[in-house]
Amino acid sequence: MAETPVDALLKGNTGRNTRGLLRIIILVTIAAAAVSSRLFSVIRFESIIHEFDPWFNFRATKYLVQHGFESFWDWFDDRTWHPLGRVTGGTLYPGLMVTSGVIYHILRFLTIPVDIRNICVLLAPAFSGLTAFAMYLLTCEMSISPSAGLLAAAFMGITPGYISRSVAGSYDNEAIAIFLLVFTFFLWIKAVKNGSIMWGALTALFYGYMVSAWGGYVFITNLIPLHVFVLLCMGRYSSRLYISYTTWYALGTLASMQIPFVGFLPIRNSDHMSALGVFGLIQLVAFADFVRGFIPGKQFQRLLTAMVIVVFGVAFAGLVLLTVSGVIAPWSGRFYSLWDTGYAKIHIPIIASVSEHQPTAWPAFFFDLNLLIWLFPAGVYMCFRDLKDEHVFVIIYAVLASYFAGVMVRLMLTLTPIVCVAAALALSTILDTYVFASRGPSPQSKAQDETSAEGLRSTRNPVVGISSYLSKAVVTSSVVIYLLLFVAHCTWVTSNAYSSPSVVLASRMPDGSQFIIDDYREAYYWLRQNTPDNAKIMSWWDYGYQIGGMADRPTLVDNNTWNNTHIATVGKAMSSREEVSYPILRQHDVDYVLVVFGGLLGYSGDDINKFLWMVRIAEGIWPDEVKERDYFTARGEYRVDDEATPTMRNSLMYKMSYYNYNALFQQGQAMDRVRGSRLPAEGPQLSTLEEAFTSENWIIRIYKVKDLDNLGRDHNSATAFERGHKRKRATKRKGPRVLRTE
Amino acid sequence: MKLFTLIIALFYIVSSACASPELGKFERYQSLSRSIPIDLDDSSYEDLTSKPRDYHVAVLLTAAEARYGCILCREFQPEWELISRSWNKGPKPDGLKMLFTTLDFSNGKATFQKLMLQTAPVLLVFPPTVGPFAKVDDAPIRFDFSGPISADQLYVWINRHLPEGPKPPLVRPINYMRLISAVTILMGVLTLFTVLSPYVLPVIQNRNLWAAFSLISILLFTSGHMFNHIRKVPYVVGDGKGGISYFAGGFSNQFGMETQIIAAIYAILSFATIALAVKVPRIADSKAQQVAVLIWGTVLFGMYSFLLSVFRAKNGGYPFFLPPF
Repeated sequence: MAETPVDALLKGNTGRNTRGLLRIIILVTIAAAAVSSRLFSVIRFESIIHEFDPWFNFRATKYLVQHGFESFWDWFDDRTWHPLGRVTGGTLYPGLMVTSGVIYHILRFLTIPVDIRNICVLLAPAFSGLTAFAMYLLTCEMSISPSAGLLAAAFMGITPGYISRSVAGSYDNEAIAIFLLVFTFFLWIKAVKNGSIMWGALTALFYGYMVSAWGGYVFITNLIPLHVFVLLCMGRYSSRLYISYTTWYALGTLASMQIPFVGFLPIRNSDHMSALGVFGLIQLVAFADFVRGFIPGKQFQRLLTAMVIVVFGVAFAGLVLLTVSGVIAPWSGRFYSLWDTGYAKIHIPIIASVSEHQPTAWPAFFFDLNLLIWLFPAGVYMCFRDLKDEHVFVIIYAVLASYFAGVMVRLMLTLTPIVCVAAALALSTILDTYVFASRGPSPQSKAQDETSAEGLRSTRNPVVGISSYLSKAVVTSSVVIYLLLFVAHCTWVTSNAYSSPSVVLASRMPDGSQFIIDDYREAYYWLRQNTPDNAKIMSWWDYGYQIGGMADRPTLVDNNTWNNTHIATVGKAMSSREEVSYPILRQHDVDYVLVVFGGLLGYSGDDINKFLWMVRIAEGIWPDEVKERDYFTARGEYRVDDEATPTMRNSLMYKMSYYNYNALFQQGQAMDRVRGSRLPAEGPQLSTLEEAFTSENWIIRIYKVKDLDNLGRDHNSATAFERGHKRKRATKRKGPRVLRTE
Repeated sequence: MKLFTLIIALFYIVSSACASPELGKFERYQSLSRSIPIDLDDSSYEDLTSKPRDYHVAVLLTAAEARYGCILCREFQPEWELISRSWNKGPKPDGLKMLFTTLDFSNGKATFQKLMLQTAPVLLVFPPTVGPFAKVDDAPIRFDFSGPISADQLYVWINRHLPEGPKPPLVRPINYMRLISAVTILMGVLTLFTVLSPYVLPVIQNRNLWAAFSLISILLFTSGHMFNHIRKVPYVVGDGKGGISYFAGGFSNQFGMETQIIAAIYAILSFATIALAVKVPRIADSKAQQVAVLIWGTVLFGMYSFLLSVFRAKNGGYPFFLPPF
């Protein structure tokens, strides 16, 4: 009885409408799940910007909202990189700030008063909902199965590989860039399929938006030409391909050149040369294809093919020559280090020092993708079944992105979308085969009946479907178990690993209650309230953006690591003796020095653990004055206890970290809980700096740089004098007493 | 130009004649070798490094013979010759004299003992004690080799310790042999390809081959092969009880064999999925189909359970598991 209304809903025209409605509801639900699973940090802590880079983006967005777009574009920031300053407007990707600025103004126009901070905090979750939708569109282009797109959208919504960069508060370029990446690829596939200028132009438009948002746009710049190149090699040239590629390249390159930071790179840099080369090649192929229509002779056709290959070879040689002679800039360091994995460690320690640039161990893949990681190869295999143009794209993307993700942890982010597509393709095939209760050919069987001889071996026989209910029940139930496990895994990972703002730390007390460690903000607010507005703060570059954003004080170096020498200067000041460091501090107008010290709490991301990188980067510029070897004991150990080398114990960083630390403990009991070692009984003495502030858990310590001595002594003797003041007076009191007037 | 060199040569002769006959050492040693480093022994080392010197001298103390088993020494030998050759052939600033020499352990045991050297190679650079570039501190500057190093790096180091001024650039000779062989091989491959194309093309265009190739590379990369490659992790490590520990402790640590096991697990899981999705629906016999579904379903479940148990071992607090393991 109940079947009749359901039948009426699922068949014919009404059926299509019902399904469309259902699909929309499902997509909205997925988007809601994607957004809500990213709100852990807001609920647990508060609506706060996370980590390091987001603080700069937040500061830039505030500037944009306050001063308007024009002055944002021309913004020269004299509060960073003191005394150099930074041409911020010309050296950033403005997409993110402009996006939130536009949202802010739209909301204002609709008379909804929202603080710009809340827009910034919630931008990434909002865009992740859009990413899920874009993923649905992209996957629907790949498969005729109706469930693939929805599965892909659901995977994309909750997979930790993407959540890791898009939780609420992680206001970084990736927040919008992944949406743009997926959507650009969708438009590109659409363009290739239809061969329409409109879709090609739309691809270029979103590519331009992507360029304005994230440096990772180079991935698109190289992947699309590679797709075209492979299609050409497979002999699949068509006018569709020509139209879509040339439209995209011409408009996309123009669009990308509008961003000041990118400028003329698209024609001057090796990273972009493959796009140009393929653009030339496709012209040749198009010409050959055009001529071929008029000349039927077989010999002539051979000649034509040979000509195309020769011209391409000559052009390639010319490109190499131009690169060698320096007209075209060689590969940029970050990009080059992807291919030659040992390159960065030798030549650019600053790239190698960033923890996101380390290679990926296998647990990280499983942690971020769970069951998708083994569905992924299966899905790629399914793509070989039909091997249409869009499937070639999936295969190339899959192989390349898994290589990149293996080389650098942060590129897991570019791998995640394609893993979701492939896994959804694999799983939807299984579900379509096993879920339908009635026996008989499943909907896709007709499409595969005409399997050609050149197809895969496993698909030679015709599809007959699954006959027994037992098989269906077994497979379906196990898939449901896997999927439930996946959801549980994603929630667990998101809540445990990716929802910490890292500005505020949380730990558990022995009784299980939460203990919030808020040292960073405590220290930054101290700076904000107790120092003059233009007091220069020196710290390692990791904290530059946070100091700029939260304390609003000028810094020497920050996370925009454009000037290696300046960073090395700070590294030298930190790693040298006080007598060497003090002139550097004076020359750079430093008023306060900030160090991060985790020894009391066991916080391992502190400056002593990063110290070797400061030494290495400084050594790159002053190899005679700073030597990494001097910081290791004779047996090659990095130690901070009694056996630490004199260079280590005299370095400014060591002194600032452990100054007065002994006072917390009983005599000779001082322990460093990160390194797990007992410190020397005698603590270090500082003569050119004085302790200004130490936060509650000693995570942040701030020192004030002393002014020059009033009597013209050097600081060392001045402090020695003050320390020995009383004793000397007592023994050496000679001559008549003199009345002292102050 | 010729006149100029003549004048300079004359000037040299005159100046050396005026200063002291001892200082003719530079020319004497210079003439010993055209461009490669001069081979020294104990006595000539003493002679060359004795004061007064009006020249820089760089001595590479090495042990290049095979019986000493110093791989670093042997690897560095051609690089050292390259530095010496570039210096001697290139244009030099006026009056800057520099000698590149080699003292092998087999010729200079006494010197090695005197300097108390435990390791080789070691580079010593002696600054001049008289003349325009003389240094007050005439002790040699020492460079310790901490690992394989290229000529460029060492040359930069040497140049830093020489007086200011233009230095001859380091010129690596073009390896014509390699260039020619590369071109020959390329043409050979092209010819072979053209000739064999009727046989090769079907192989290249074989979809199964490409599928296998892509899947294998994806499995390699996602199981952490690049990590092994970059960090040079050990293949397996003993567990201290005579056995082998296959899995490294810790979340961001792994062994070579471990990644291969993981790749195999992923591969089995993927193939079970492919079999269930693609092959099983094509089995016409319903009994056989039923059995295949049960087998592949069990393999999938068991393997996934095993994978989760391995992951739990790596990541202490991970709460999820599937029954068998």
